[in-house]
Amino acid sequence: MTAVLELRNIAKRFGGLRAVKSVSFEMNAGEILFIIGPNGAGKTTVFNLISGFLHPDEGSILFNGKDISRLAPHHNARLGIGRTFQIVKPLKNLTVLQNVMLGAFMHTGRLQQAEAEAGRILDFLQMSHWKDLPAHGLPLAALKRLEIARALATKPKLVLLDEVVSGLTPGEALALAGLVKRLPEWGVSVVGGVEHVMQVVMKIADRIVVLDYGAKIAEGKPAEVVSLPVVIEAYLGAKYKELPK
Amino acid sequence: MVDFLQACINGLLTGALYALIGMGLALIFGVMRIVNFAHGAFLMVGMYTSWVLFDKLKINPYIGFLAAGVFLFFFGYLVYLLLIQPIRDRSDFMQILMTTGIALILVDGVQLKFGADYHQTNIELVNRTLRFGPFAVNAAYLLSFAIAAVCIVSLRSFVVRSRTGQALRAIAQNREVAPLMGINVTRIQGLSFALGIAVAGVAGGLLLPALYLFPTVGDDYTLKAFVIVVLGGMGSIEGAAFGGLVLGVAESLTSFYIGNQWALIVDFVLFLLVLSLKPSGIFGRQRA
Amino acid sequence: MIRSWKLWVLLAVVAASCCLPLLVQNDYQMQVVFRIALFAALGLAWNLVGGYAGQLSLGHVAFFGVGAYGLALFTSHSVPKWISIFLAAIVAVIFAEIIGRIVFRLRGPYFTLATIAFAEVLRLTATNLKITEGAIGLPTPALFTGPSFWRLFYFSAVALAVIAFLVNGWVSRSRFGYYLMAIREDEETASAVGIDTPRYKLRSLLISAFLTALGGALYGSAFQYIVPDNVLTIDVSLQIAIITMLGGAGTLLGPVVGAVLLMSASELFKNQFQESHLLIYGILIVVVVLFLPEGIMGGLQQLFRWRKKPETARAAS
Repeated sequence: MTAVLELRNIAKRFGGLRAVKSVSFEMNAGEILFIIGPNGAGKTTVFNLISGFLHPDEGSILFNGKDISRLAPHHNARLGIGRTFQIVKPLKNLTVLQNVMLGAFMHTGRLQQAEAEAGRILDFLQMSHWKDLPAHGLPLAALKRLEIARALATKPKLVLLDEVVSGLTPGEALALAGLVKRLPEWGVSVVGGVEHVMQVVMKIADRIVVLDYGAKIAEGKPAEVVSLPVVIEAYLGAKYKELPK
Repeated sequence: MVDFLQACINGLLTGALYALIGMGLALIFGVMRIVNFAHGAFLMVGMYTSWVLFDKLKINPYIGFLAAGVFLFFFGYLVYLLLIQPIRDRSDFMQILMTTGIALILVDGVQLKFGADYHQTNIELVNRTLRFGPFAVNAAYLLSFAIAAVCIVSLRSFVVRSRTGQALRAIAQNREVAPLMGINVTRIQGLSFALGIAVAGVAGGLLLPALYLFPTVGDDYTLKAFVIVVLGGMGSIEGAAFGGLVLGVAESLTSFYIGNQWALIVDFVLFLLVLSLKPSGIFGRQRA
Repeated sequence: MIRSWKLWVLLAVVAASCCLPLLVQNDYQMQVVFRIALFAALGLAWNLVGGYAGQLSLGHVAFFGVGAYGLALFTSHSVPKWISIFLAAIVAVIFAEIIGRIVFRLRGPYFTLATIAFAEVLRLTATNLKITEGAIGLPTPALFTGPSFWRLFYFSAVALAVIAFLVNGWVSRSRFGYYLMAIREDEETASAVGIDTPRYKLRSLLISAFLTALGGALYGSAFQYIVPDNVLTIDVSLQIAIITMLGGAGTLLGPVVGAVLLMSASELFKNQFQESHLLIYGILIVVVVLFLPEGIMGGLQQLFRWRKKPETARAAS
């Protein structure tokens, strides 16, 4: 079975800085994979690479077997990769419904159909009461859901959620996490990128990939990975490598 | 060959003034990202200021330009506080519209006050030509070149060495964090805008002996200034100085070999070339 | 029926414009009204690029001029008048394709400056080229003759405005329009949602250029003589942008409102204030930018939105 997403020896440099150094991993359809790592580990760069906003200097990215390393962002979107942004980017002067309709327009040219589809997704994300409000007034939790809604409207096979729970209160974060856990029901595989909110990751991730300084240092099921010395060292420093159990 | 070099020399002489104009805009647009479509209009006000001093008080423009600079400094500061600061964070669209409006007010205001007639200062220095070997150099242009060169060097020193200059660059790098370092952002930005305008005024004063004076004389210079800033690279004061010289020489050569009327087209062609091939300009750094 | 009130407004405005000639007393006034209608059309055409797509083009006069010069040059080579107009518009579209491919790769003020640069290059070229007789200019054939000369031109301008209005209307309710608005709000997000931003920006420019060129040809024909400083001057670009901004960019009625208000005011100023009408123009722009950045229609819409209850409020486009 072809992996839905495969990164082979991806590398990316910015001038002299090697943001990503030879990262490889695979994920299968229906999985929820989280990329974690301390600040500056390269997660957002990897996200930008997968969604086409950046192109790798070395290596290749395969989506359902197809090489997407050199495609433009809108191509990746059309092939079925949706994404949210770390700093939410709602289209401020449009309503919530209109924001989501934009995603829906990828599969239909008709206003009414797009409206209907957008409405459905907003219902799933429990946002129907926000439907006709302009996006710029919304609180962060709603904006995060809006980002996801808009991505979902494009009927993606893979969705990249960059720092999707950051900035939310624990209650909001857990609620959103519950929703994310259900995404595979819609046929969507999820790649999440997270810095700090480990409770969420532990609860919903099927597998974790750990990055540090642009390289992959660990991969596996959440419980296994977090107690690996190399991971602890990356987050807390060598002093804490041997934590009392 | 001599002709070629002569054209180059002429180009450098005007280029120095272009460099000044460009540096003024580099401060405002390059560093502060304020899209100032009124730059040429302020230059024109500088010219008129010098002219009034010449006409009424018999002050030679080569001294009067200083007064023009000072006047435009305060005027620029006022304009910044009243009209630019309120829309500082709005889109480029708005800034362009606002500064276009300001330009209209300035141009038409000057026209109302002074009429649309052409004026000219007749300083005998303009008629004197110095000879250096096979090359002829207009004495007046040489003087303005020298003054401009001094201004350029002082301006650059100021921006690089002084505390205000450093504060300005801090703001340019990160506007949110700058206040945390005790920088009064509004005041510094106002001062820099004022400085950029003052420099335009100085250039205007220095240009006065060489050109005919009329209300819309500054219009071409706005676009020229932007071309220079782009040529030199965003945020680079030195780049703008260099860009000004390049533009001066390019125009001069075009004038000489192809014809006067095409000189302006060279501005735009250069502009489009740089934007298409190396948008960060000759001295600019790629923005991440 | 959705949006039916807008259709009624359109009909009302068209009816009013048809009755207008009855109020007009002389040829000069008819000419003024002609220009208002023409600029309403130009504003509506610009609105596609500057309003919906949010790309501040200040070089639209390039298409205007190409329309005018196209008419003049084609007819001087024995092409029938009405076909010449159409061909001129096609040429403008070709120009738009070329210009667009270059300028849309630039961001923010660079884009605007590049559009200005292109228009200026065109103006300088026209001033220096043999075929366009340089600054002397060219004669353009009148589309209509006889005593109702200005009235017929006026109706043509109204017709063009109606076409432009309908195009705006269609765009605002279509996927194309939504895509343009997305591009206006945030190009990165638009890409992430699968929108090929350069392609859509270009498309809006092509449509806009076509309509603007028709306007230019009409203008050239009405005044029967064109010079570069008239039909290729940046002043026209500025005027189009200002009318639309003042009336409300990105709204349907904005450009129309802006054209009517601004140009009537300008005429009034010209008569009362003769000398200082540009000054007042400038003050007007400054005031609008400071206090009414959404323009008149945009401001009205904001007000409307606040008054309505949340669940029924819809962001009108």
